[in-house]
Amino acid sequence: MTSDPVIATEGLTKTFGRQRALDNVTLAISAGAIGLLGPNGAGKSTFMKCLLQLLPVTSGSARLLGREVGREGREIRKRVGYAPEQNCHIPGMAGCEYVAYCAQLSGLPFQAARQRAHEMLDFVGVGQERYRKVDTYSTGIKQRIKLAQAIVHDPELVFLDEPTNGLDPKGQAQILELVRGLWRTYGITVVLSSHLLNDVERVCEQIVIIARGRVLVHDTLQNLKARKRGAAEVVLARGHGELQEACGRLNWLCQMLPNGHLRIEHRADSLNALLNVLHELKLAPLEIIPSPNALEETFVQALEMSHAAA
Amino acid sequence: MPLLDAHYQHWDGAHVGIWARRWVIARHGMGSALRNRAMRNLVVVCWMAGLAMAAVLFLIGQLLVADSIVIQWVGQLNPSLQVFARLLTSWLQDHPEISVRTTQNLLFYLYCVYSMPLSIFALGLAMPSLITRDLDSNAMVIYASKAVTRGDYLLGKYCSAFGLLTLTWLGPVCGAWLAGNLLSPDWRFFWHSRAALGHALLYGLSSMAILSGLALGVSAVSRREKSTPFIWWTWWVLGWVIQPIALHTKPWLRHLSFSYDLKQIGLASFRLGDDLKTARENIPMLGEMLRNIPPSTSYALDHPNWGGALVALVLMLVLAAWIISQRVSPE
Repeated sequence: MTSDPVIATEGLTKTFGRQRALDNVTLAISAGAIGLLGPNGAGKSTFMKCLLQLLPVTSGSARLLGREVGREGREIRKRVGYAPEQNCHIPGMAGCEYVAYCAQLSGLPFQAARQRAHEMLDFVGVGQERYRKVDTYSTGIKQRIKLAQAIVHDPELVFLDEPTNGLDPKGQAQILELVRGLWRTYGITVVLSSHLLNDVERVCEQIVIIARGRVLVHDTLQNLKARKRGAAEVVLARGHGELQEACGRLNWLCQMLPNGHLRIEHRADSLNALLNVLHELKLAPLEIIPSPNALEETFVQALEMSHAAA
Repeated sequence: MPLLDAHYQHWDGAHVGIWARRWVIARHGMGSALRNRAMRNLVVVCWMAGLAMAAVLFLIGQLLVADSIVIQWVGQLNPSLQVFARLLTSWLQDHPEISVRTTQNLLFYLYCVYSMPLSIFALGLAMPSLITRDLDSNAMVIYASKAVTRGDYLLGKYCSAFGLLTLTWLGPVCGAWLAGNLLSPDWRFFWHSRAALGHALLYGLSSMAILSGLALGVSAVSRREKSTPFIWWTWWVLGWVIQPIALHTKPWLRHLSFSYDLKQIGLASFRLGDDLKTARENIPMLGEMLRNIPPSTSYALDHPNWGGALVALVLMLVLAAWIISQRVSPE
C-alpha cells in the first residue's frame, strides 16, 4: 500500500440523532479491490454514502481520488461509480435507455452514452432483456443493471453495496467474477461492501472491517492470512486415514470436514512440515488451502474485541 | 468472465458540461410526460387554438387592405356590412398601431387566460414524471451518485415543467404572433404588435415560472403517482370554487387560488383597461359598444389586485420550496 490513497478520511463521523453510525473513521486506502466487511448495521453503507455525499457528514473530512469530498462533488462523481444496495431505478425506461441516461448524467455525450450502455450491458450479461422496462426485471437482472450503470462512464473507482444480494449461487459467482475482473483486468478500483465473507475473500485484496461505526481492521488479505498461519485444509483423493494417523503421531489436530477436506493445525509458519509428511506418505494432494477461514476468524475476533470494548 | 464474451473497454472522450447534463434531465422529464396520450392531445388542442389565433390575425390584417378578398366576401354576404367594413378599413389604415396592438393584445390575453385551465390540467398529467415517480423508485439515489447535484436535478425538472407549459401556453401565442404577422399585408405589423407580444411574454414567462415551481412542490408531496395529480387538480378546483364565495365574505381568501392570482397578474401585464379606453375613444362605432361594459368589470380591468396576488404566489412558492427541501434528498 505505497501508492497515493484513492480514499482518505480523517475523523469522519456521521450521527443520526444520538446514534453514531460512523465514529471518527480515519483511513487511507490505496487502489485495488477493497472489501468492506461488517455485520448488518455496522456502518458500511453509511461510510460509502458519506464518501459519495449521499449523506451529509457530521464532522471530519474525506478525499476521494485526491479531491475533497464536499467541495468537488460533481468532479468526483464523474470518476466514481456506485451501485446501491436497495432497488433504485428511473421508472418507465427500458434497461438500455436507463444505462445510457445514467451515462449522460455522468457527462458522456449522447452517442457515446448509447454505445457504452450497450457495451456494458453485454459486459454484465444482459441480453434482449435490455429492451424491456426496468420496472419488470427480476432481481438478478436488476443487480446486473445496477452494476452496468455504475461502470458505464468508465469510473476509476466503483462502490458496490451488497452486489450479490438476492442472487442464486450461479448468479453470485458470475457477478463476483465480473467484479474481480474490474480491478485485476481493467484496473478499476473496487470497493465491495458485503457481510458475506466468502464474496469478499474471492474478490478483494484489501480488507476493511467495520463494526459499530468504527474501523476494526484494515489490512491486506495476505497479511490477515499470515496472522492466522499454522492451519491448512488439504484435499485428498485417497489416504485420508493415513494422513490422520500421521498427524496424530505429530500431535497435530486433524479434523475431517463435512466436505471431505482435512483441516490440519500444523502450528508452523510455513507449509513445509506438512508437505514433508505428505511426501513421506506418498500422498498427492489435490489442493492445499493455507490459512483457511483466516478472514472469518479475524472477523469474529475483531467483532468480539469490539463488543468487549463496548 | 464477461458473460457474453464481451470485454470492458475504457472510454477517454471529453465530458459534456453541466448545462448539457441539466438539459438531459429536462428532456427526459418532458419526454416521459409526453408519452401520455392525453398530454399529447392537449398539446395538439393548444396548437390548434394557436392556429385559430393566427387565422384571426390574418383576417384582421386583410381588413387593412382596401380591396382584399375579405372585404369582397363581406360585400357578397351583405352590402351594408361592406360599407361598414370599408369605413373600418379606412380608419384602421389611419391608426394601424392602435388597431394591431389592441386586437393582438386582446387576443393574446384571451388565449392566455382561457387556455390556462388546459395548461394547469396538463401539469397535473405531467405531475408523476416530475418528482413523484423518482421518489417512489428511489431514483434520487441514482441521480445523487452521478455528476449532478440536487440543484441540477431540480433545475432539470423545473425546466421540464416550464417546457411543457411552453408547449401548451406560450408556444401557441408566439406561433400565432409570428404566423399572423408573416401573413399580414405589411411588415410593420411586427413593429406595431411589439407591445402585445411583450405583454404576452411578460405574463406567460412569469406565470410559467410560478406554475412550474408550484407544480414541482406538489409533485414532491407524495410518492404515489395518483396522489399528486389529484392534489394539484383539487387545489385548482377548490380555488376556483372559493373565488365567488370569498368575494362576498372574505375577499383575501381568493388569493388561495393560484389561478385567480395569475389572472390578476395577467390583467396587470396586459393592461387591458388602457386598451379599452383607447378603443372607446378612437374606434368609430365599436367604441360605442365598448361603453356598455359593466362598471364592475371596467373597474376590475383598470385595477387588478396584482399586489396581493404576487404576495400570495410568493408565499405559495416558498411553501413549495420548503416541501422540496424536505422531500427531495437521496435518503
